[in-house]
Amino acid sequence: MSPYEHHETAAKDRISMGQKFAYGLGSIVNNLLGGAIGFMSIVLNVGLGINPALVGTLQAIPRFTDALTDPVMGYISDNTKSRFGRRRPYIFFGAITVGIVFALMWQLPSGHSEMFYFWVFLGGSILFYFCYTVFATPWVALGYEMTPDYHERTRLMGVMNFMGQFAWISLPWFYAIMENDRLFSDSVEGARTLAIVIGIFVAVVGIMPAIFCRERFVAHDEDEKKKSNALHGLRENVIAFFKGLVITVKRVEFLKLCAGTFFLFNGIMLVGAFSSYITIFYVSGGDTDLGARYMGLFGTINSISTLGAIALVTWISAKIGKRRTFILATFVTLVGSLLKWFCYDPITQWKVLIPAPFMAVGMGALFTLMGSMIADVCDLDELETGERREGMFGAIYWWMVKLGMALAFGLSGYLLNATGFKVELGGAQSSTTFLWMRAVDVVIPAVAAGISILAVASFKITEEKSYEIRQELEKRRGAPAAESVPI
Amino acid sequence: MKTWSNYLSIGFASLFLITIACQTLTDEIVGKKPEDTKIINITMIAKSSANPVFLSARIGAEDAAKDLSEKYSSLEVNIDWRTPLREDAKEQAERILNAVQDGTDAILVSCSDENILTTAIDEAVDRGVPVMTFDSDAPNSKRFAFYGPNDLEIGENVMNELVNFMGDQGQVAILGGNPEAPNMQKRVQGVQNAAAKYPGIKIVGVFYNPEIAADAAAEVLRVNKTYPELKGWAMVGGWPFFNDTLLNKLEPGKIKIVAVDALPVELPYIEKGIVQLLFGQPTFKWGKVSVEKIIDKIYLDKDVPVINEMKLIPVSKANLGGWSRQLRAWGYDGIPVRYLKM
Repeated sequence: MSPYEHHETAAKDRISMGQKFAYGLGSIVNNLLGGAIGFMSIVLNVGLGINPALVGTLQAIPRFTDALTDPVMGYISDNTKSRFGRRRPYIFFGAITVGIVFALMWQLPSGHSEMFYFWVFLGGSILFYFCYTVFATPWVALGYEMTPDYHERTRLMGVMNFMGQFAWISLPWFYAIMENDRLFSDSVEGARTLAIVIGIFVAVVGIMPAIFCRERFVAHDEDEKKKSNALHGLRENVIAFFKGLVITVKRVEFLKLCAGTFFLFNGIMLVGAFSSYITIFYVSGGDTDLGARYMGLFGTINSISTLGAIALVTWISAKIGKRRTFILATFVTLVGSLLKWFCYDPITQWKVLIPAPFMAVGMGALFTLMGSMIADVCDLDELETGERREGMFGAIYWWMVKLGMALAFGLSGYLLNATGFKVELGGAQSSTTFLWMRAVDVVIPAVAAGISILAVASFKITEEKSYEIRQELEKRRGAPAAESVPI
Repeated sequence: MKTWSNYLSIGFASLFLITIACQTLTDEIVGKKPEDTKIINITMIAKSSANPVFLSARIGAEDAAKDLSEKYSSLEVNIDWRTPLREDAKEQAERILNAVQDGTDAILVSCSDENILTTAIDEAVDRGVPVMTFDSDAPNSKRFAFYGPNDLEIGENVMNELVNFMGDQGQVAILGGNPEAPNMQKRVQGVQNAAAKYPGIKIVGVFYNPEIAADAAAEVLRVNKTYPELKGWAMVGGWPFFNDTLLNKLEPGKIKIVAVDALPVELPYIEKGIVQLLFGQPTFKWGKVSVEKIIDKIYLDKDVPVINEMKLIPVSKANLGGWSRQLRAWGYDGIPVRYLKM
């Protein structure tokens, strides 16, 4: 097959628009849950008086518990055999429980000590993240296995990512809603009510993928036999879990995708705060209102561009393949990062908006193509090990994303201090400080995007290779059918 | 192609719905005011409307009024600007009483003369109108709070920074303004207190001026001639640099100079290295912070400290660009583009 010839997706491999939409609803819930705590945590400081450092600790600790719960959940889901499938029961009950826990964890009573709130919220957070894992890990894995087709996977991930953006668009409104004195007496009451609304939304919308999506794979029968003896099963499961974990993290093609994601995503996240500071204090000269307006416009352009980029990337990838599309999109983001150097202009302030669409392309492509490419890795893994481990791959991948994000947020504060930024000076920072801030904001994402391109450049699963793997697998175990009993 | 038209249809429909939802939400959050909205009129009386520092303070006050009106759905804050064209304490006192008569809800004033204004402030308070002072206080009046700098600390900082530039040996002259003004007296006292810590520093004198640029510049040149060994100037105000008289008459770096105030007109002195450091007053905050304090007191019923200290910002060659942009953001005009690009 020449590089310009492509496989057409067979009708049996296509996922109906309804199923794609149902899976995409899971993405809204997933992003909403992932971002809501961060956007609502300001209430812990402003409304309940918890020290900002403790609020940061509250957000960091669950990242470490995730390190254990995510892969375990991936393993459990991969090895579950039920008439409803290996993913859907967890998605169904996970969505309901995480919705309930989210609503409850914000019902904090007034008039208690700082440490009371810290411990109560920490307990709630750990339980929340546990339930979130029960929902999210099987949901992610479900996406990897909904179709065996190279291109249809990208289309599914495109719809998923597209719909998931609506959660990110709504999240910045949360503080304004909680603080609105026409709706609530104070931000704490606002958080209580908003949490209930989000909880209900999550429970209702989050079960949609479980109800409407279909699974294609079931766990192997021999695994089931092992679990018949509880003690024997426990020991075997622990061994199998660690064996699976090691195989997963040693899978070179998977590591390339992880590295590609880690650098691109966290390179941008790391300097996210810098862009705001530069826009407010350098471009707008300390005029917070003007800076906020530019930030708002930047966010709007970025969101709209991301939606466009997702559609474009999904289309291009069917023409030139996933790896090339990823490299192209990441290169556009690299160019966008470099453009910032010229567009941070205190004289022509509107130029700060120019890089927004460029930055959106890489991020739009990232989670569209990576999900699809991990699904291809799962096929390769099955070919070489005989097991399907979507849950484990998804869990480790997303844990890496979450951990990287937490590290990036933590590190950005230190980086800002290192530039010499002093908040009491407002816009009157020294020229050297502004130079360093701009340099960090431009160089880190650009270098990170470069490393990301290098990491993915040698990814070996091309379209042709993917179809070869699929043929081999189907020769071995037959074609997986979309099945499972409706919930 | 059909699939793609489906995607696009869903995409645009979703965008449309979200836009409508956001618009409705925006209207709900920041939109129309209810009928029982509380309207608070704050009368602002600065020293002189011809002075750009007070125009910047006005912009800060109006900015705070706008923000507070947006934040609280049942509140509308208006700024009633009644500043005389030129400094005139009697005129200020008259305007305070007129504002009370017109039914103002609060008064914010920078006192040109403490004694004259104290009577007017007390009368306003006695008639139920809370008064707050900024920049220049009337500490013996019934005003509930003051927002401004700690003048003693300003003087100390001027001297300490001067020592950083010239070393702790040599002759130093102090430039004062109106010798009767309490804030000027405190600043000069602060310089003297700090100088006392350096045995090698000799204060050759405190030289007062009528706070007019030409007079202040002439005094500086006269003192420089009288004391040829002079190593530093500690200026508690920036009057000699309020025009360009000295730009070509002082040799950059020969005598180290630290002064208070960093208005746009003074910035070329920093650029040329004639002045090593200026302490800039965030004049925008005079209005911004004071209006917030008034609303805290009369609308939110919060405790407001009597003295609310404003910190000055050191301005040197290192942050000339940043300070210039900050001044522009605070409403100052005429800042050279080359500074804004720094």
